[in-house]
Amino acid sequence: MKVFSQIISYSLPVLYLLVIYVYYLIFSEKNKSLVKKTTPILLVLVICHLIEIVTRSIALNNMPFSSSHDSFAFIAFSIVLVYMISEIGLNSRGAGLFILSFSFILELLSAVNMSWETETNELLINKTFAIHASLSVTGYTALSLAAIYALMYIIQNHNLKKRNLGKLFTQLPALNYLEKMSLRSIVTGIVVLGIGLVLGHYQALSNPLIGEFFPKDIKVIVSDTVWIIYVIGYLIIALKQWRGAKLAYLSLYGFLILIVGGWIIIYMSESFHKFN
Amino acid sequence: MSDQIPLGLIGISHKTATVEVREKVALSEEEQTMTIKHISENLKADGVMVLSTCNRTEIYFSHEDIHSVAGQIKTWLNKLKNCTHFSDTNKIYTISDAEVVEHLFKVNSGLDSQILGEQQITGQVKDSYELTHHLNGTDALINRMFNFAMQAKKKVHNETFLSDGTVSISFAGVELARKIFSDLTDKNVLLIGAGKTAELAAYHFRENGVKNIHVANRTLERAKALAEKLNGKAFTLEQLEEVLETADIVISATSSETYVVTSKVIRPVAKKRRYKPVFLIDLAIPRDIDPEIDKTNGIFLYNLDDLREIVQSNLEKRKKEIPKSLKIIHEFVLEFRKWVSMNSMTVVIGKLKKKLDVLRLNEMDRLKARLPQNGYKHEIEHLTESIINKVVRQHVKSLKEVAHDPEEYKRRVEMILNIYELENDN
Repeated sequence: MKVFSQIISYSLPVLYLLVIYVYYLIFSEKNKSLVKKTTPILLVLVICHLIEIVTRSIALNNMPFSSSHDSFAFIAFSIVLVYMISEIGLNSRGAGLFILSFSFILELLSAVNMSWETETNELLINKTFAIHASLSVTGYTALSLAAIYALMYIIQNHNLKKRNLGKLFTQLPALNYLEKMSLRSIVTGIVVLGIGLVLGHYQALSNPLIGEFFPKDIKVIVSDTVWIIYVIGYLIIALKQWRGAKLAYLSLYGFLILIVGGWIIIYMSESFHKFN
Repeated sequence: MSDQIPLGLIGISHKTATVEVREKVALSEEEQTMTIKHISENLKADGVMVLSTCNRTEIYFSHEDIHSVAGQIKTWLNKLKNCTHFSDTNKIYTISDAEVVEHLFKVNSGLDSQILGEQQITGQVKDSYELTHHLNGTDALINRMFNFAMQAKKKVHNETFLSDGTVSISFAGVELARKIFSDLTDKNVLLIGAGKTAELAAYHFRENGVKNIHVANRTLERAKALAEKLNGKAFTLEQLEEVLETADIVISATSSETYVVTSKVIRPVAKKRRYKPVFLIDLAIPRDIDPEIDKTNGIFLYNLDDLREIVQSNLEKRKKEIPKSLKIIHEFVLEFRKWVSMNSMTVVIGKLKKKLDVLRLNEMDRLKARLPQNGYKHEIEHLTESIINKVVRQHVKSLKEVAHDPEEYKRRVEMILNIYELENDN
């Protein structure tokens, strides 16, 4: 099982690249016949990624987010899944190249840094922890998607202003769709991440083993700070009724804070969230 | 056996005649019906199809003697339309064989249209075919040519960008609006000016789902008249600032010598709208909207030149797709040729099978007299039938192998006809 899982794990970035190439051909208007084939192609990618997550979890006897790099792969998977659903629903492929490229970076980081030691930490087989972790990862996924939509909004806004009405303009979705998706993703992210964090706090306080580390853990501090920034940002947007480019820039700044926070958590700190 | 496809076409189109001539030679449905009946019944054509649009009048027909029938059709049309255009060699074109097939495939795909890649023609070809089919004017050749034309069009549409992007200035505005708002149904459109240009633009937006269209004009009476037609409200230009607050799309087409919409007006409006996007289309010359306002957040201003540029760029894009589209068309012409060959093969193989069966039955009759009672009669019949089928299959295989090569195909067919002394009915 471990060897099989390793083969799929290291092949996944290649599969991502192939799918990105398909989207590049559509984006650059080099092959129109591929347009109708993207759904089965994405489905294959999602299924392969799901198999990778399941086999790795079985092989290492842990859940899919036992390390930060595992979480990257899970976020990549969630993003592709959400994108596939929205592509089928809206029949728009313009965002595919951007979203898949972002997922590819996450997947690549995950594949390169993956650990193949069997997990022994008891926490990782605890069900409440699994819910906390999956909600937090889903929340981060939603916030990442919000940033991608915001970036596309800024590009499309620039295209319209500067009359750059070429391939990029044609392939990107309409401004108000991008705005709506970005806003929805922010709300989803805030709610889901919020529940995930509350659940994490509850578990940390109720479990003495974790509780003694809780207040000092940098991951908790950074995650809470990022979440509070997003909540404040959203409240300002809602009260001031900001729309358009302003909203898009705010979403991007929020994501920048999230990335910096994530970087601090992964590479600068020793957190109780690290296992093995 | 001939390698020529017995198809002919005579026509007059936008490429050979002016709009006045095309108007004169266009056939009404009644005239089309009369023409189909005349060509089928009096000229004894196997099949006929009449395509008459504002850009072309074309008669497709299948007959062994293309040139003679073409001449008679021209005479009929001149008489029917009381003109001489169908005899004017500068205006009329006559083509035959596979070129007819290629021409219809190009026409149906929009490659021969005045507006490259337009798709309305496909519906017109379909209507023409249905009319002739209804009158029993089609034969296997016309039927198959029509089916192949539809398949070729579908492939061109799915695999090239020949029909993508608008090539009409009015629709360019609608297309841009869709890139800002995606769904136009709940958007408010404000027309500034109540002239023909504004009205035409309004209709394009209404065709694309816009429900709320209001009109602001210098004189309220004219605004009211147009607003009534569009089921909207009328305003004067003095009320402009107030109306602009709720407008998502603004189309301006007045004859004013000065700017009607200035930065002074639009900036506070944009602020009140919390910078929600507003799309302004300035169709006036001289311009109605101060170009400075494009610098405001959430404001997208396009004028006539911008729209023309979009149309031009889309046309260029379509032109680049011509070689790819032609390649698809040629593939389908080749497929059609193969089908014609296969169809003629069915006739040759049928004759061969009949001849061999006669030989077999004669030999069986002679053998029967020498066979004892119940002496393997059925087994021998089965065996000889099986041998004949195998021989025939071998010939079918040999012809199919060269179906793509008309010369070699013709040589092999002639060889079969000679060897088995079959009748050659060409």
